This record gives sequence, C-alpha cells and structure tokens, in this order.
Amino acid sequence: MEYKYVGKSYIRPDAISKVTGKAVYLDDIRLPGMLHAAVLRPQYAHAKILSIDTSEAEKCPGVVKVVTGKGCKFHYGDNIRDLVPMADEKVHYIGEPVAAVVADTPKHAKDALSKIQVSYDPLPVYIDARQAMSEDAVIIHEDMDQYWTLPTLKVVPGTNIANVYQVRKGRAADGFDEAEVVLEGEFNYPFGSCAAIEPHGSIVWFKEDKTIEVWSSSICPFIVRDDLANSYGVPASDVRVHIPDIGGCFGYKSDITVEQTIAWIASFVPGRPVKWVSSREEDFTSTLIGHGIRTQMKIGAKRDGKLVALQVKVLHSSGAYADTGVNVTMAATHNSTGPYEFDHCELTGYTVYTNTTPVGAFRGYGHQEVHLAIERMMDMLARKLKMDPFALRSKNYLHEGSVNALGEHMWKFNGDVAAAASRVQEVVFGHDKPKEDDTYFYGRGFAAVMKSPKGAPFSTKGCYMKMNTDGSVNINMGGAEVGQGLRTVVRQIAAEALKIAPEKVRVYTELDTQFSPYEWQTIGSMFTMQGGRAIVRAADKMIAVLKNTAAQVLKTDADYLEYDGEYVYLKADPYIKVAVTELARGYITEDGITIGDLAQAVSDARLPRYAAPDKNGQGPLGVTYTFGAQGAEIRIEKKTGKILVDHFASVFDVGQVINPLQIRGSVLGGVNIGIGAALYEEVIFDENGKITNPQYFQYHVPTYKEMPKQTIEFLETPDPIGAFGARGIGEHSVVGPAPAILNAIYDATGVDFCEIPVTPEKMKKALEALKEYA
Amino acid sequence: MAEKIAFTINGQPRSVEVEPDMMLIDVIRDVLDLTGTKHGCDNATCGTCMVILNGRAVKSCNTVITKAAGAEITTVEGLAKGMELHPVQTAIAESGAVQCGFCTPGIVIELVAMLDSKPNASEQELANALNKHLCRCTGYEPIRDGALIAQKVVQERATAKA
Ligand code: FES
Ligand code: FES
Repeated sequence: MEYKYVGKSYIRPDAISKVTGKAVYLDDIRLPGMLHAAVLRPQYAHAKILSIDTSEAEKCPGVVKVVTGKGCKFHYGDNIRDLVPMADEKVHYIGEPVAAVVADTPKHAKDALSKIQVSYDPLPVYIDARQAMSEDAVIIHEDMDQYWTLPTLKVVPGTNIANVYQVRKGRAADGFDEAEVVLEGEFNYPFGSCAAIEPHGSIVWFKEDKTIEVWSSSICPFIVRDDLANSYGVPASDVRVHIPDIGGCFGYKSDITVEQTIAWIASFVPGRPVKWVSSREEDFTSTLIGHGIRTQMKIGAKRDGKLVALQVKVLHSSGAYADTGVNVTMAATHNSTGPYEFDHCELTGYTVYTNTTPVGAFRGYGHQEVHLAIERMMDMLARKLKMDPFALRSKNYLHEGSVNALGEHMWKFNGDVAAAASRVQEVVFGHDKPKEDDTYFYGRGFAAVMKSPKGAPFSTKGCYMKMNTDGSVNINMGGAEVGQGLRTVVRQIAAEALKIAPEKVRVYTELDTQFSPYEWQTIGSMFTMQGGRAIVRAADKMIAVLKNTAAQVLKTDADYLEYDGEYVYLKADPYIKVAVTELARGYITEDGITIGDLAQAVSDARLPRYAAPDKNGQGPLGVTYTFGAQGAEIRIEKKTGKILVDHFASVFDVGQVINPLQIRGSVLGGVNIGIGAALYEEVIFDENGKITNPQYFQYHVPTYKEMPKQTIEFLETPDPIGAFGARGIGEHSVVGPAPAILNAIYDATGVDFCEIPVTPEKMKKALEALKEYA
Repeated sequence: MAEKIAFTINGQPRSVEVEPDMMLIDVIRDVLDLTGTKHGCDNATCGTCMVILNGRAVKSCNTVITKAAGAEITTVEGLAKGMELHPVQTAIAESGAVQCGFCTPGIVIELVAMLDSKPNASEQELANALNKHLCRCTGYEPIRDGALIAQKVVQERATAKA
C-alpha cells in the first residue's frame, strides 16, 4: 500500500541528542544527596551462608551502611515468586547479591566490600539441566512447592524442575507409526549474554513521605512499580518509576532484574537516593543471561517428504531462579516446529533450576534455540530422504489453511514463508559457489524462520494523545525506547493516522509511571503492532472529538463531516469548514463562549483473543506470526578453522514496512547478534559455577571487521491487527543465523555441528578429524 | 593525596582537584559532569569512553588523569558549535548509525579525530579505527555509511576553503 508517511525513512527524533552526548542514560543521572552502592557476590555458586560479619566494612571511609539479606521476608516474581532481593540463608549462583555497602562515592562503596567476611558451607553445583535433573541431585530450592506461581505452571516438587510445559496435537505415537522415516537429533544453544553496551543500573529512593521513586535501565517500569509496591506494602500509585534512555536491551533489561536488590539496599537508608551501576563483569554474572537450551528432537516423515510427527524435549538450564526463564522455555517449546505443519506433535519443555545466572529474555526468546534444531534437522532429513532441502521444506510450510502446534489456523495474512524462502534461495543459491581452493572451503546454508510474539492475556499498550492549538500533537506511550526506534514508529504512524506531517508530532522521551500510559513491558517485537494499533485508535478518538466540536460550530451532524489534518469540513460542501487549530482547545464562539471538548484521547490495544492454553497446550498463545527466511554464504579458512560470513540474506514478511532505514538497521544488528551466537559467543561456567569469561575481551561480541555484506528484503502481506498492516520485526533476524551458518558449514566441509558457537578451535579439530578419517 | 591539575576541555581552561590515581573518565563524568562520555566496560575494550586528547582519540577509562596535565581535551559535548553540528555528528545521525546511542559518542569522537588528522583516510584506516568500538545494535554497516558521508563532507569543506 502507498501511504503518505508510513513506508518512508525519517531520522529518529532522538538521533541528535545521541550524537551530541546529551541523551541521558541511567548513569548520567545525579540526584541531590545521592549515595552509591556496591554489591558483594559469593565465592561459591551453591552454598549455605553460615555467617556474615560486616563490622570491619562499617568502619571504612565514606561508608554509610552495610546491608545483608538477613530478615528479608518476601519473595517476588511475575510467574514464579522464587526471587529474593539478597541471599539470606543460601546462595544459588555465583552472581547472587550477598551483602552491599552504601557509601558516599562508588569507590568507597567498592573498597569496603572486601572487608565483609562471609563463611559458607558449599553444596554441589549443577551448571546443566541434565545434572540438576539427575535422581540424586540436591534440591536447589527446597521450598519451591510453596512459591506462588501462575496457575498455568506445573512445579515438580522434590526435583529441580520448576515447570513442565506440554503441547499435544494429534497423537505422536500414531504419527510415528505412520512415518516411514524417522530422524533424531540433539542440539545445544548455550548461555549467552545480551551484552548491551550500556550495563544495567538503578537508582532507588525511599522518601520520608512513604513514596518510593526509582530510575532504572529497564523496559518495564510498570512491573517494577507493581512489584515494589507489593513487596513494601505501599499503593502502586506511590511508587514512581522513571526510565531514561536505554543503551540497548536485547531482552535482559526486561522483567524485573536488579531493581528489587537496589530497593532492598536503599530501604536501609531512607531519605537518600541510592545509585548502583553494574560493572561489565556484574552485567554478565548478576543480571540475566540468555538461552541455555538443549533441544532433543525426533521427526517422523513419509518417504515423499511429508512431515507427520514431531517429538521435542526442551531441556532448559534456566538458572538459579526460574521466574524469568519459564516463559522462554514455553516459547521455545511451542515454536520448535519451526514454520512447518505436523499433524502430530508431542512437545515438552522442562524449566530446570541450575546454579547458574538466571536466564531471561534474549532477543528471539526461545526461537533461535529451537530453530537451530528444526532447521538443521530439515537439512539432515533431506539428506536421508535424498531430497532437495528446499523441496522438502516447501512441501511442509505452514500456509493458509494449515494448523500449527497450538491448534491455531493459519491465514494468508500470517505471511508468506514460501515466498520469503524462494527469494533467499535466489540471492544466496542463485549463483555458483566458489570452488574449494588451497586456503578456503566455501559453503552456503539456509534456514526458514517463524516468530510468534510473547505476550500475556492482559498485555496491552496505552497511548495518550493531545492536540495543541497550532495543530501539533504530543504523544505519550509506555513503550521503552532501547534503540529499536519505536519513537520514530510512533511518529510516523501518528502522522499517517492524523494526516499531519511527522514533524508536527512530538513523542515522549522518558517513561514515568506518573505520566505514561500503562504498558506491560516492551517485549516480544510487539510495539509496532500493538502500540501502532493503540495510536490509530487514539487518533480516531481524537478526530471524533474534533468532529463533534466542529458539528456544533458548523451546525450539522458529526457524521456529515470529514477531517483532513487541517480542517474539519462538510463532505457535501467542503467550503463549509473550520480549522483544527480553532477546535483543539474547544471552539471559541463570537460571543466568547467556548464549546466542545479538548482535543485529546486515551486508548490502548492488546492482541485479540490471546488466552491461556488448555491442558494440552492448545489455544491461541501466538495469535500473530511473522515468517521469513535467511541464508548464509561462508568461507572456512583451512589453516585456522576460522569461519567468515561473506554474505547474509534475510527476507521477512512484515506486513508493512514503516521506516525502511530503521527496519534495515534492525535486521542488520539482529543478524550480527545471531552470527555472534553461531561463531563466537558463549557465557562459560566452570564446574564450580564460576563464569570464566565475564568481560568483553573474553566474550567475543562481533566487531566492525566481522560484519558480512547483507541482503535484506521485505514482503508485505498486510496484517489485520497491526496499524497499516505492520507486523513486528525486532527479534526475528536473530533466529536464522545459527542454523543457516551450521548448514553452510556442512555444505562446505561435510561436518555436522549440533551446537554453537563453532569457534575456530572446534572447526579446526573437526577438519583434522575429517582428514584422519579420510 | 589530592592534587590540582589544569587542562583545557572543550575550549575552556579548567583546573580541578583530583586523586592522582583517578582515570580521565572519572574526572570528565563525575567532576566536570560531562556525561556524554560513556562507560561501557571494565577493561578498555568497548570504546564508548573515547575523548580527543591533544589531537588523538584515546580511551579515557585507561588514561590516568595525570596524563591530562596541560592537555587540550575535546569530549563529544565540545564538537557542535552552538546549534551547528559537526559534520560527523550530522552524518552519523542521518545514516542510521544511531540506535540505542550508547556507543555513539565514542564513535563520533573517533571519526572526528581521524578525519581531522587524516581527511583522506582509506577505508582500511577507517575500519581499523572503528574496529576499536563495540556496537551491539547496528551491525556496523550504517556506521560505515555515516563515516564515508562524513569524510566526503569534511573533504569538500577542505577544498572549499582552499
Ligand atoms: S569504557 Fe570501555 S573502553 Fe573505556
Ligand atoms: S547504537 Fe547501541 S551500541 Fe551502538
């Protein structure tokens, strides 16, 4: 569709403040009387705390207070209330807060930490779900059966299993009976860190008037607000949470992460704001990490390539607290079909407590982990069936009329995976690949992708809109700008809906629970879709206000009127009109009396019919899907085993592009994160549960010279929910790189990798083994 | 022991009381309240903290403050002349190189230092410079685009002046 403002590139409203260094991030905030906190972490990943002696630390220069977890009576969490702000009797992982120092400067706070004496009684450490699930494993959360959980969750008491999630469609046993070919595989997507360049941080201030004020690098101010209100027994309206600019999120600044810990610390120095900013090391060890998902997969197919049955076991090493990981397991489990239809599905996801940093959202939210499995399996199955892998896939793509694992019907407007696939096939496989030479092997690989959002039945996005007397418009929403560019999207969608130039729309810069409309959290690639719908609804309401006022001015009925951004006029005679500038504050009549309402509107939007699933996991948990395809052209250096991605292609059916520059930017960055996971990145725990690489020089985030050439295209099958047909795209691009690259490695060398990252050492070893074998 | 150190920052002579083991970044951010310079890592790997010290881009997180004595320092706040942005700032804003913006000040400073001293830097030289900066958002391509646009503007201005 051709729109006036939607589908065109505009620069971000926050670009100038960011290039001039004036954008304010958490660490840039300074408050009067502000104190600084430093947090002590344990030497053991799993241990009983026998005693803590803070007396020496209290004597250190500048120290105002030393805080421990003693006496903390509450647990918190949105899904499973298993979290505590600071360890009391036991530590469950190496990054857990054990004590904290509050001092006049960050340096004084840090210096005093080493003076705190803690004695521990170590317990066995489990860094992998398989160890923690073994029969004789020590229980990590002894009182887990007493934790409050969402009613849909199933704890297995007496084990380390925090939840078992099941999806049953058809009868898998029958399906495998019917199958003529069966293939099994096991794939591992290890721990990773979102590693945003801005580390986490929070400021919490318990005030004498019993209100609590918070600033945090979080994307969910309303969760932080409600959680703190609940824990400290104050009305939610008395907790005010501000979100400044955020220096990247990629998932791990969602849910509640560090805020409860800093609040606990600040509650001991009421009247003073307390700031804590994580070091890079703490950002790795003590916030949230990602993935930790092992997928065991069995596929049954007919000899002609028709898929019939899928059995999946997702083993999720979810870390020391499962509150933030449990939904990742679920998303991984029900998306493990990839973009394919199976008549019979038996998908089971285990969220397992381990003595590792808790897992939370990581851009892609369970999808990339299981796509590694399904998309590698599709290539392997094609080999087994002696079929072309593209032909095998096209035979089975979800399309209009098919039914996914959750029992949801697919419609044309869900998007066209086959078209995306054939475009990627063309740009990656449409030419001959270079012949192996002395230095390199060359390979190409493919992955088709399905992404469903992660929501909650109540997950909604609000919008406050008001028009000024010069016709300009201010908009407040609850969506957190983490760099994804949602302020630009708000501006363009509002401009289109209100028929005014984007320059006349001023979008909010910070979130503030006192002034921003409610939003659950800005996750799941849902802002453009849900937020966009909320904007359109607000615009419609505001236009209706203008028309109602105009109807009185023009002495007619509102439905005879039309609005064009500048005027409200009589459809039957456009000469009869009144300017919106005269209507915005109500219309002042000749005798000075003002009639009509202020031009403003409040709205919100959630996904239609999103509901809790039944006991077989059937029900609309996805509601909306985005499909796409990705492909890689790689080179493998024979001498070193180094893998170079020369070209990477992504095609997604996004419904409608809102801003071409920004959407390309989103995919460029996402692909880079996917490549990082495939080739370089892993948060490594040693057997004692210590992270051995919690720094950027050890945890290799892709650098400038490693960027591949990228082809990025979009299909536009309009969506009925999103504004102007737009679907989400935020996370999708990270889903395909790992399987596409591993498929390319096979194509280049005949080596099948089932886990990432494929580092040069691993590649080299595999090549050497190949040589010996030959 | 606190000592006094004098330098010029963003064109203004300043004299500040510092502990000699302080890093330049701490003085810039915490003493002078110039918060545009960012702190992204613990071991001088991310590049967000770059400032221009006597014409060279340096990491302020591993530059001890005593090295700044008598120096000429420019931070990201010192690049625009009033409302007029430095061409590097304009190019980076317009090329899509800004997402979260946390890496941006460091990258802007790097490019300004590079193009000031070497307006004709090769793409390889630009790549070497930009490889010192981590960006988790953009996939780097728009940063390269911005750098090349900025370079063109800087070169054109130089020819216009000549
Ligand atoms: S803060 Fe990372 S290089 Fe200086
Ligand atoms: S724009 Fe976010 S790190 Fe570069």
